[in-house]
Formats: sequence, C-alpha cells, structure tokens
Amino acid sequence: MSSQTATTAISPREKYYFLARRLHSLTGLMFSGFVCFHLLINATVLTGGESFQFCVEKIHILEHMGILVPVEMATIFFPIAFHALFGIVILLTSQSNMKDYPYGGNIRYTLQRLSAVVILVFLTMHIWHMHWLGKPFGGAQFDPANATSTAAAAMQSWSLWAPIYAIGVAATVFHLANGIWTALITWGVTIGPRSQRVAGYCCVALGAVLFVAGLGAVRGFMTYSVADGNETAAVEQVEESGH
Amino acid sequence: MSKRVKVNIKRQDSPDSGSYWQTFELPVEDGMNVTTILLRIAATPTTTDGEKVAPVAYDACCLEEVCGACSMRINGKVRQACSALVENLLKEQPEITLEPMTKFPNVRDLVVDRRRIFESLKRVKAWAPIDGYTPRGEPDRMSPSDQEDAYPLSRCMSCGCCMEACPQFNDKDDFIGPHAVSQAILFNTLPAGKPLESERLDALAEAGGIAACGNAQNCVKVCPKDIPLTVSIAKAGRATTIHSIKRFLAR
Ligand code: HEM
Ligand code: SF4
Ligand code: SF4
Ligand code: FES
Repeated sequence: MSSQTATTAISPREKYYFLARRLHSLTGLMFSGFVCFHLLINATVLTGGESFQFCVEKIHILEHMGILVPVEMATIFFPIAFHALFGIVILLTSQSNMKDYPYGGNIRYTLQRLSAVVILVFLTMHIWHMHWLGKPFGGAQFDPANATSTAAAAMQSWSLWAPIYAIGVAATVFHLANGIWTALITWGVTIGPRSQRVAGYCCVALGAVLFVAGLGAVRGFMTYSVADGNETAAVEQVEESGH
Repeated sequence: MSKRVKVNIKRQDSPDSGSYWQTFELPVEDGMNVTTILLRIAATPTTTDGEKVAPVAYDACCLEEVCGACSMRINGKVRQACSALVENLLKEQPEITLEPMTKFPNVRDLVVDRRRIFESLKRVKAWAPIDGYTPRGEPDRMSPSDQEDAYPLSRCMSCGCCMEACPQFNDKDDFIGPHAVSQAILFNTLPAGKPLESERLDALAEAGGIAACGNAQNCVKVCPKDIPLTVSIAKAGRATTIHSIKRFLAR
C-alpha cells in the first residue's frame, strides 16, 4: 500500500539520507582512529628526535611497497573529505539554543559544531603547512626523510604556529572525544543513561591523554634544536643494528 | 497589601503580522499558575500603560498537565502554563515573560499551529493497526520488562516541549522530532503495534528520521513527563541501522 507509492516517489535525498549520516559517523570514527595514532606518534619527539624519525620511517615502509599514497587516500583523505563536506551540510541544519537551554549535552552539541569549524580552518592550514599536498601552494615543509628537523623547522618558522597548533589540537581532541561519545549513541551501542555516562568518562580520559600528547608534541617540536638535528644518522644506526 | 507580579507577553495579531511586547500587572494569588494569569488578563486586558487591549489568546484544556495544549516559552524555557507556578517562576527572575513556542507557526499571541507534531506521528505510524472486521484474537502477552520499558513512553502528551528545545528541530530540516522517535519505539514494543514494525523503521530511516538527531539531549531535559527520550533515540539508532542493513542484503 502506501509504502509502495512511497518507494516510487522517493527522492535521492530521501534515499541516501540515512546512509550518508551513517557514513558521516563512520568516517568520523575512522579519522578519529588516525588522529589517535598521529598525536601519539608526534609525541614521541619528546623522547628524542630519533624516536619520531624511527616511527616515520616505519610508516614509510608503505611507500617502499608503493602503497602509501593509496592507503593514505583510502583511509584518511577521502574519509575526512566526506566527513568535512557532509559535516558542513549538517552544520547548516542546526540551530543552537545554548542560551535558553544551557545543559551539558547542549553545550557539547554546540561545541561539537564550533570545533568542526575551527578544525576545518586548522586542517586546511595544517595540510598546506606540512603535507606534500601543500607543495603546489608553497607549503609542504615536512620531509619524511628528515622528519624531526623539518617538522621542528616548520613549527619554528612563524611565532604563531605554536598557538595555532595548540588551538587546533584542542578543537580536534574535543571533537574527537565528544564525537566518539555521540557515535556510540548514534550506532545504538550505549543506550541507557548509565552506559552513556560511563562512556562519557572513557571519552574524557581518552581526550585528556590525546590533549596532553598533542600539546607535548607541539612543545617537543618547538624546543627541538634544528641546527644539531641528527635524526637521520640515528635512524641509520638503528636500522643497521637491526639488520 | 498583596504581592503583585509583572508579566511581559510577546504578542502577535495574525500569522503574518509582526510581534510586539506588552506588559501587564496583577495581584499574585495563592497557588497561581500561568494559565490563571492569562485568565485574569482576559477578564481585564489593560496594560501597565493603561491601554485597553484585546485579550491575550492562549491554548489550554486539561489544566493538570496531561493534554499538552498549553506549552509555551515561560521565562525563556518551554513548559506547560497550567503547571508553571508563579511562586516558582518569581524565584527564577523578578518578572515573568511569556512567549509562544518558536518552532511552530504562530496563529495568534501564544497560540501556535502544532500540526507538525501530528504529521510526525503519522510518518512513523504511531498507532496499533487494529481496524477491520475480522476478530484478531488476543494479542501476545508482554513481558514485565517490556511493560516497564513501554509504560513511561506511553505518557507522551504531544506537548511539543522536546521539539521546541531540540536544536535539530527547525525549518532547515524536516526532523520528525524526539517524541515521534520515541512513539515509534513504543509501538514497536507493543504486541498490537508489531505488524507495522518494519514500516516504522523504514520511516525512521527516511530523511528527517532518526539520523537527523544531533544528540544534544535537550529533549530529555525538558520533557514534562520525564520520558527517557534519549534511550528511545539510541534504541532507534540501533534498530534502524540493523533494519537498513537487512533491507540492503535482502535486495
Ligand atoms: C574538517 C572539518 C569537520 C567538520 C566540518 C565536522 C563536522 C561534524 C559535525 C557537524 C558533526 C556532528 C554530526 C552529528 O552529530 O550529527 C560531527 C561529528 C563527528 N565528527 Fe566531525 N567534523 C570535522 C572534522 C572531524 C575530525 C578531524 C574528526 C576526528 C578527529 C571528526 C570526528 C567526528 C566524529 C567521531 C563524530 C561523531 C559522529 C556521530 O555522532 O555519529 N570530525 N562532525
Ligand atoms: S516526549 Fe515529552 S516533551 Fe515530547 S511531546 Fe511527549 S510529553 Fe511532550
Ligand atoms: S537528543 Fe536529538 S532529538 Fe533530543 S534534543 Fe538533541 S538533537 Fe533533538
Ligand atoms: S492545559 Fe493540558 S497540559 Fe496544560
């Protein structure tokens, strides 16, 4: 009966709405996984330039296998591009009313959207600043072969980079931790108030660890002495001893 | 000398005209609520400027917080006029402000067109399909735990508070609203509602369905009937995802 007529008259928006919202959540989770690794690996700079260089080399094994770029595109770039673009669509449908209803959940809802905008700006700057995608635009200061010293030089090249990265880390970590909390509800994992509260504590703990790691990394790269950077030599030694 | 209260009311003469504010002042009575205020103003509609005006239009019916007709923004927060006691409101701020709900089209003064509430209930088929001529026999028995889950949801009075407070319920999207999500879950729990379970999940998977919720959780905070809306929302999220995957695999 009515369901039949409904299926014939269905618009693409109708048809893909639910799927798109679920993909938005899934891509958010995928990118959250990446950010966890990314911030923790960056924080290894605190234990010395060699450790960070070592981690970067390990990741770039994929490059020798010729699959770094495809893997990066499939698991990081396309997911976040979809998440960001559809996220903007979602942003356009929300109408925050934090002033009238200043409840915790509502404040987090509003901050989730505010942090999304901050991340949008920060991520664009960050990709330009460090990633090879920024090369045509005069950025791309990070070089995996001299990971620690190029990252440190990039961070130290402008006095505002440290505060910008600190804000970027704060926004990203909040968005990630709160996003995982809401995603657990979205997928119906945490249903009752108690499970949602416990999940909340776990997300706060995760966020705290990542926030400390992220700020630690910023500090690590700001204080790393680029002049006597000898991380490549150190890694060669590590690799030689490993063979 | 009895205490007096100032009431600022946001008024609007017709659906298309602009809104304006008027202030009234009247003596506080024992156990007075906002509906009483509106009743007294209707008797002598004179503003504090001494101007005689048309009485303030408002909706009310049961006067005991079960029909849901009298929802409005009182001191900026949506609730029932009939159960909002002046005594408590004056603890929030020195003067009372009354405004119509903002998420529904205005009809006049504090009266809004609440049709969208019922359109949403129709979209999720929030009823038990028991019409017809043939006897259906006894419905299946409900387990005590299902009864415990279902009863609180059945208290919904379609008052609109949860929708008014929901940041995702607005003209920019066609979100059905938390009450409809919760009613879909209620009727999917009731044995008599089961025959339409799959159609309800289809409706929740549509644009403006469950996925439009942004998890702000205002709905559960403002619901005058303490309905666990966020539990229904999470259940609907799970059920709709599983349903959609099954649908997809069955194609
Ligand atoms: C690039 C700019 C970004 C924009 C515009 C954006 C936008 C949004 C929006 C609007 C939401 C709320 C969706 C909803 O509750 O319905 C959201 C949720 C989420 N975001 Fe983002 N986001 C961005 C970046 C990120 C990043 C960098 C991460 C990972 C660190 C991330 C992870 C998540 C997660 C896990 C959710 C929760 C999804 C859910 O509740 O199911 N987002 N994002
Ligand atoms: S769920 Fe609560 S707030 Fe929403 S319409 Fe029903 S009774 Fe009102
Ligand atoms: S939890 Fe969902 S339905 Fe409830 S107020 Fe928030 S966005 Fe609206
Ligand atoms: S008049 Fe029925 S709820 Fe207020």
